[in-house]
Amino acid sequence: MSTKEQREHIELLQGTLDLLILRTLLLGPTHGHAIAKAIEFRSEDVLQVEQGSLYPALHRLIKRGWIAVQDGTSENNRRAKFYRLTARGRRQLEVETSKWDKLAGAIARILRPAETES
Amino acid sequence: MSRRKRMMDDIDQDIRDFIERETRDNIERGMPPEEAHYAALRRFGNVTRIKEETWEMWSLVWLEQLCQDVRYGLRQFRRNPGFTAVAVLTLALGIGANTAVFSLFYTVMLHKLSVARPEELVEFLYKYPGQPRSDGPWKWGEYENIRDHNHVFSALTGTGFDNLARVRIDGAEPETLILESVLGNYFEVLGLKPSIGRLTTPQDVPASGDAGVVVVSWDYWNRWFHCDPAILGKRILVNGNPETIVGVAPRPYTGPRVGNRTDVWEPYQKDAVRMLARLKPGVTRRQAEAEINVLYQSWVDQNNPGHESTRLRQKRVELEPAGAGLARVRDLYGKSLVLLLAVVGFLLLLACFNMAGMLLARSAARQRELAVRVGLGASRGRLVCQMLTESVLLSGAGTLLGVLLAYFGTGVLVHIMASTQAHQHVEIQAKPDLNLLLFTVGIALVTGLLFGVAPAWYAVRSSPGPMMRRTGTAGDTWFWHWFGRGLVAAQVALSVFLVTGTAVFLNHLSRMRNFDLGFRSDHVLLVTIDPSDTGYKPEKLAVVYQQLLARLKTIPGVRSASISGCTPIEGCGSGSRFLIAEGHVEAPEQRQRPAISFVSPEYFETLGIPLLAGHDFSLRDVGRPRVAIISNAVARHFFPGVNPIGRHITVVYDPQPSPFGDAQPYEIIGLAGDVKPWELHDSPYPTIYFNMFQENHLDDEFDLRTSTDPAAMAGTVRRVMGDFLKSVPVTRVKTLSEQVDSDIVPERLVATLSEFFGVLGAALAGIGLYGLLAYNVARRTNEIGVRMALGATTGDISRLVLGDAAGMLCAGFVVGACLVFWGRPLAASLVLDLKPVSAGPLASAGIAIAAVALLTSFVPARRATRVDPMVALRCE
Repeated sequence: MSTKEQREHIELLQGTLDLLILRTLLLGPTHGHAIAKAIEFRSEDVLQVEQGSLYPALHRLIKRGWIAVQDGTSENNRRAKFYRLTARGRRQLEVETSKWDKLAGAIARILRPAETES
Repeated sequence: MSRRKRMMDDIDQDIRDFIERETRDNIERGMPPEEAHYAALRRFGNVTRIKEETWEMWSLVWLEQLCQDVRYGLRQFRRNPGFTAVAVLTLALGIGANTAVFSLFYTVMLHKLSVARPEELVEFLYKYPGQPRSDGPWKWGEYENIRDHNHVFSALTGTGFDNLARVRIDGAEPETLILESVLGNYFEVLGLKPSIGRLTTPQDVPASGDAGVVVVSWDYWNRWFHCDPAILGKRILVNGNPETIVGVAPRPYTGPRVGNRTDVWEPYQKDAVRMLARLKPGVTRRQAEAEINVLYQSWVDQNNPGHESTRLRQKRVELEPAGAGLARVRDLYGKSLVLLLAVVGFLLLLACFNMAGMLLARSAARQRELAVRVGLGASRGRLVCQMLTESVLLSGAGTLLGVLLAYFGTGVLVHIMASTQAHQHVEIQAKPDLNLLLFTVGIALVTGLLFGVAPAWYAVRSSPGPMMRRTGTAGDTWFWHWFGRGLVAAQVALSVFLVTGTAVFLNHLSRMRNFDLGFRSDHVLLVTIDPSDTGYKPEKLAVVYQQLLARLKTIPGVRSASISGCTPIEGCGSGSRFLIAEGHVEAPEQRQRPAISFVSPEYFETLGIPLLAGHDFSLRDVGRPRVAIISNAVARHFFPGVNPIGRHITVVYDPQPSPFGDAQPYEIIGLAGDVKPWELHDSPYPTIYFNMFQENHLDDEFDLRTSTDPAAMAGTVRRVMGDFLKSVPVTRVKTLSEQVDSDIVPERLVATLSEFFGVLGAALAGIGLYGLLAYNVARRTNEIGVRMALGATTGDISRLVLGDAAGMLCAGFVVGACLVFWGRPLAASLVLDLKPVSAGPLASAGIAIAAVALLTSFVPARRATRVDPMVALRCE
């Protein structure tokens, strides 16, 4: 069970959830539940998305034109909303990823100066 | 919008889906179904809140904020009813004036005729070098030539001149209506469809004159027949001729002239055509003009041998867009309306300055409130929005009231415009129209933003820290201090400009009225009668008229009486005749065509036209050698430097070439001063007068010079004439000064309105000055208190306040004077014969504004002297 702090952490870091959604959709269009599951699974359950917060994030991305929504049929033959990455979203993902790498690197250097030096 | 709605509908479904999947997962993990569902819901979080959050993504936050700002603004206004009332009234006057003038401008200048494809229509005008352009008439041959040989028009038609016709329906009084004579293809070319019955076609026009059928307007149909289809086939008397009504024109079509409502259309085919054409698609007006001029020149060469062609060859044809109606009304009022638009534009600018000043003072007073809001985390952007919302709200309220004012204002304008001569009668109906509405809304928005910018900017700059501590007394930087003054100075400048304009235009009007007209327009009553239906023989009528003149002169208050065909300014036309004088030789193309006027004895005395030499006609001239009186212009032309009295002059009918042929010479017995026959702007027109009793050429306009107000005598004169000539109707009674006024409608329009706007401008500047001074006094209460405590006298204090006012006044006056000099050429280009601006109007404007300023600064100055030092100091 992840701690409460971790969950808040995700919500507080603006744009982090957006980045994860974009990255998840890079693998192909899928529905909301699958996105939440994928994020949890791929982070080895460290990141527990408050599932509801997924929706404002999804719609923010739709509004910005980075992802699109369409009707589709799921694996067990049910109608569902499928979210997919747009071309603009793909570009945005690259930008966000490199930004994140820089940020993470910089924070890591500050937190563990000895490790980076050695 | 639809995307937003679809998205919001989808959220529900998607969330339900999500929870279902999670529930299934939980069941797979071994939970009992019920528990699995609740676990899924817990995991998801607060469904309603999440829906709302997602929903917000798509909602219009700014709209809600706007509503908030509007509510807050309204609350502010309710709390300051005095301020709000002044502000709304100021704006209403500014915006109302603009709307009224623009609606007139729009109707006269821009509004399209309700015909098919109005943008294709052009009107034929012609122009001789150095003369104003004219719209005709064209000869039938000219019309046929262009109709048959042009390649640029898809259709060509024509209409006759403005005719007033006496129209009578059985069993009713005759009324005078506008009759338009039109060519057979007129309605077809304009693409009009009848309301009922049919419109006239080329088959209606017989080769020989009278067609016997007419089309009437929808308005006429409604007025007399209440839209009863039984109108078809009814007979009406038009100028005494029976005509059959065959159809009713479409309701929106009231003739091709803006402001002239045609009621009867009659097909005709003869000389004197005003040509209207439809351009072929793709042909420009310039191209068409080029072709038509070539065509016209070749026609002149073929058909006009000799001297006529020299003159005709100089004639240039111009094509004028006619989609908004024929050009004449536009030519007549266009410049005045542009001038008025400029004037009301300045007035609105003045109102904006005024409002900006008031709002600025108010936001200075609200500085603490603003600072608190910034302190509590309001963004600067929100504050600006708030301030702009308030100013737009004010301008919106001002617009609503302004539109109401404009409605009445337009009535006044139309009333002035309606007092023209009958043949130029203009009736404007300003109807609600989308374009007008857009203009008004646009003006409201622009005004609101314009005067809202400064206070909004001011609000942005208020920083929370220092303001919270201070009591709001001296928080202004020098910039805002001078900015406020600058606004007042700008108002003074604009009002100086407007009031100077008023003085100039009023001067101009009175100059036009007292122009050297060549006659005295005061104290003359004109009465026209119509003896045509009564069957008097001319010889008998002459005797009756002479008796009537004698009777009229016995009315107390009548000093002299005479009869004439027409009176000055009414348009005593030039005929197709010219004069030949003994001992004067000239080339045929230089011959003058004088106005010919048949008058009774005492005409010159009655109208106050001076007889410069010789003597007047008399009743004894009848049966004796023919006599004439010539105007000074004729004398100058034929007898330069010679006394014309006793000389002989002959009238020759053109094109009859025989000089001294059968026409009998007249002996010149008098020389009269020049008068303006048509318009005040005209140069004196050569005129020759004959004795109507000698020539047995009776006319029906009785002219009476009175010793009291002529309008007041109208009733008595009417009664006397009615008793004397029982069966002869009096058709028109008016005074000569009304007739003169009817020719200077544009001048009167400009003068009357700018008078109103000038007063308004001065009042606004006064309000602005008062507002700023009062605000400053309130703000400086402490300072004044300290000064008084330190021994300043009340004189010192009022000097302090008045000196402040005087500074702004002087600065404003200097700028205003510069504006006046800058605007001088503009005004001169828009007003005919405007006298160069002298210092007089500017000085009088300065004095007027100074008086207003003094009056308005008196109250704040007095209040300043009443400051109680103890109270003022205790506040700090």
